[in-house]
Parts: sequence; C-alpha cells; structure tokens
Amino acid sequence: PCWRVMIALEEKNLKGYNQRLLAFEKMEHKSEEVMKMNPRGQLPAFKHGDKVLNESYAACLYLENQFKSQGNKLIPDCPAELAMMYQRMFEGLTLQQKMADVIYYNWKVPEGERHDSAVKRNRESLTAEIKMWEGYLQKTSGGFLAGKTFSLADVCVYPGICYVFHFGLCEERYPKLAAYYNRLKDRPSIKASGPPTWLENPQGQDMLKDI
Amino acid sequence: MAKDMTLLWGSGSPPCWRVMIALEEKNLQGYNHKMFSFKKMEHKSEEVMKMNPRGQLPAFKHGDKVLNESYAACLYLENQFKSQGNKLIPDCPAELAMMYQRMLEGLTLHQKMIDDITYNWKVPEGEKHDSAVKRIRESLTAEIKLWEGYLQKTSGGFLAGKTFSLADVCVYPTIFTIFRCGLCEERYPKLAAYYNRLKDRPSIKASWPPTWLENPRGEDIMKDI
Repeated sequence: PCWRVMIALEEKNLKGYNQRLLAFEKMEHKSEEVMKMNPRGQLPAFKHGDKVLNESYAACLYLENQFKSQGNKLIPDCPAELAMMYQRMFEGLTLQQKMADVIYYNWKVPEGERHDSAVKRNRESLTAEIKMWEGYLQKTSGGFLAGKTFSLADVCVYPGICYVFHFGLCEERYPKLAAYYNRLKDRPSIKASGPPTWLENPQGQDMLKDI
Repeated sequence: MAKDMTLLWGSGSPPCWRVMIALEEKNLQGYNHKMFSFKKMEHKSEEVMKMNPRGQLPAFKHGDKVLNESYAACLYLENQFKSQGNKLIPDCPAELAMMYQRMLEGLTLHQKMIDDITYNWKVPEGEKHDSAVKRIRESLTAEIKLWEGYLQKTSGGFLAGKTFSLADVCVYPTIFTIFRCGLCEERYPKLAAYYNRLKDRPSIKASWPPTWLENPRGEDIMKDI
C-alpha cells in the first residue's frame, strides 16, 4: 500500500513531498506520530494540506483526479481500457488479501488458532488467484494491466506482484506475470520508489516457490 | 445506454446494491437485470460463471466491458455518465478527498461485518475458536464506533460532507445491513440518523432488496454491539 502512493506521486511529478520511513518490525506503525495522522495505526498515512488520505487507493485516485494535467496520465480515455483499469484495480485488493493470508498467517493468527487445513486452503486460494492473473496477462495485449498504457491499475497492483516474486514465486511457471514484473522493474517511478528494505519474513524468502 | 447494460445480482448483497444505487443516481434505469439466489447457490451457476469466473455477484457489463467489482462499476458509471443524473464526485477538493477516503474505508467496514456474520458457515467446524469469534466481534465493534465518530465530526449529513457522493453509494448498503442485523440505534445515534435519513432517497428506495421488503426484520445478531 505505501509503495502504491509513492509510485503515484512519482508518476504525477510530485517529488519533494515530506516523508518518513517507519519500521513495522519495531511496531512504529503504532507510534503516537502515526496514530495522530492515522488512528487505525496503519501505514501509509498521507496528507495533502489538511486532507487526509490514509487509504492507498483513495490517495492514488485523489492524486490522479487533482493533478490530471501534470506528469503521466494514469486514467485512460478509452472506455474499454478505463473499465479494465477499474476492474483490475479492485481485483488487486483480492490478490493482496490472499497473499497476506498466506505470507502473514503466523503474524496474524494466534498460535492456538492455527490449523494446517487453513494454511492449505489459503495457499490453494492464492494459487488460484495467481493463475487467474497469469490468465489476465495472457489475454490482455499491450503489456499493462488495462491494455496499452500504464494506469492506476499498474500503480495499485504492481507492488503486490513484485511481492509474490520476492517471496519466491516461480518465474517459469508464470511467464506472463514474470514478464510484466521484469518489464516494469525499470520504470522510473517504480525504480525511484522501490522499497529500501524488504520486510524480513522468518519463514524465508521462498515461501511461495511451490505455488 | 442502459439497454446495453446487464446486471446479475442477489437480494440483500451490499455490493450488488451499490451498483443498483449508482445506476439509479445516474438515471440509467431500464438496464437488463436478473436476480439470483445465494441460498440456492445460484451465484455458482453457469450463467453467472460465464460473466464472472469468480462465481460472485454482482456481475455487471456495459457492452463488452466487464465490471464485476462493485467499486469498479460505480467509479466507471460516474466517470462515463458525469453529465447525467446526480453528480457523485464533488468538485471541492476537501470533500473529494473525504469521499475517496471513506469509500475505501468502507471496504474495511464491510469486511469486518462479513467476518462477523459469516463466521459460522465459512469456517470449517474443526477450525472454529471462541477466541476468534470474540476478536472478530471486538474488531467490528471498534470499527462501528469509528464510523459513529466520523458522522459526529462531519457536518453536512453525508459521508463526504454536504453532498451525496460515491462514498454514500458504496457504504450505505453496509450500514443498512448492520442495522438490519439489530445494531442498537440508541447506542449509535449518528449512524442511525444517517441510516434513517437516506432510507427514503429515491435511488435507495428504488433498489431496496426485494427479499427484505417481504421480511423487514433480520436476525438480531448485532444487538449487543
């Protein structure tokens, strides 16, 4: 979610914003400083003047709406691409949820409530979801999620796709997703905002290699 | 325009209701639609799967443009039909920001509500825990209190401020469902006032879940929140 907002800011040429990097591992997202800006104790927390936009999708939609005429256009004019953009954007939340259910299972579920059957089910669900996205990229020509141009769909979903590969998703098994992931790696806005540290996961960085 | 639109929906489903409210607000009455029963597992029928391989409702199409995610459909409709019906995205930047923020927070409210309502039939018997039920209920309670607070702080009567917006389109159905589950109106007066005030809005009245008209009282599972 944080990365999405940073990509959007870069795309709209809004560099030079005030920013602070906080550490999840040190529970800094529950610090007074964050709680003051986001009572939910979550990151990102984003403000433009006194307008608070802590939901990453809200911040991205707002930035494109308010800065339409500067930087790159993130909402296509073509109605078919526009519809595809919104659809993939919101399906991206499902992908993220299923990914989090697998990767953060031990963080989120208290020890006494964990079950192998749940872990299995979550993995199957994520596998089906990833296969769906591989299919989407097979069917969509143009190289981006909405079609021929980079859009809010890519801003919002790319970080998640990058994440699954970071956790070991097999590139040979998902060639279209891998191609998308590799192609966008060097996009200026993505390169400029790439995470300086990757969240260390005690289970290792190959958690998703068998998916 | 509406004649090129098709909506597959289920009664009482907040995501379906969102799209129906949006269509009404944009004066797009006359769209093709078909109601399916969740109870009879019709959302997994071939007809639905053909339009939405996820086997979920709503499934919505405009021409050959598929918008099965309710928020995607609502944003698309406002973008494409900006000049007809009611304006659903405010011009004022402060209200605009508030609209997007509340819209997206509405997904959190909806998820916590769903986690509470569906626990018993979604979680396999061997995986159920009282501790989880308790935690889910506490999480929903905290979330509802947060929204009561939002309505206390926001003047104007709508989630984004002075005008009805996509935030109300997307979040009202969830708030309505919570009251239908028995949430105590005295305990949450601002939410109750919002819920009652918008009940009679034409777009909401016109798209009221038909199965709820036959059976106005749901189960009071949330009366102790």
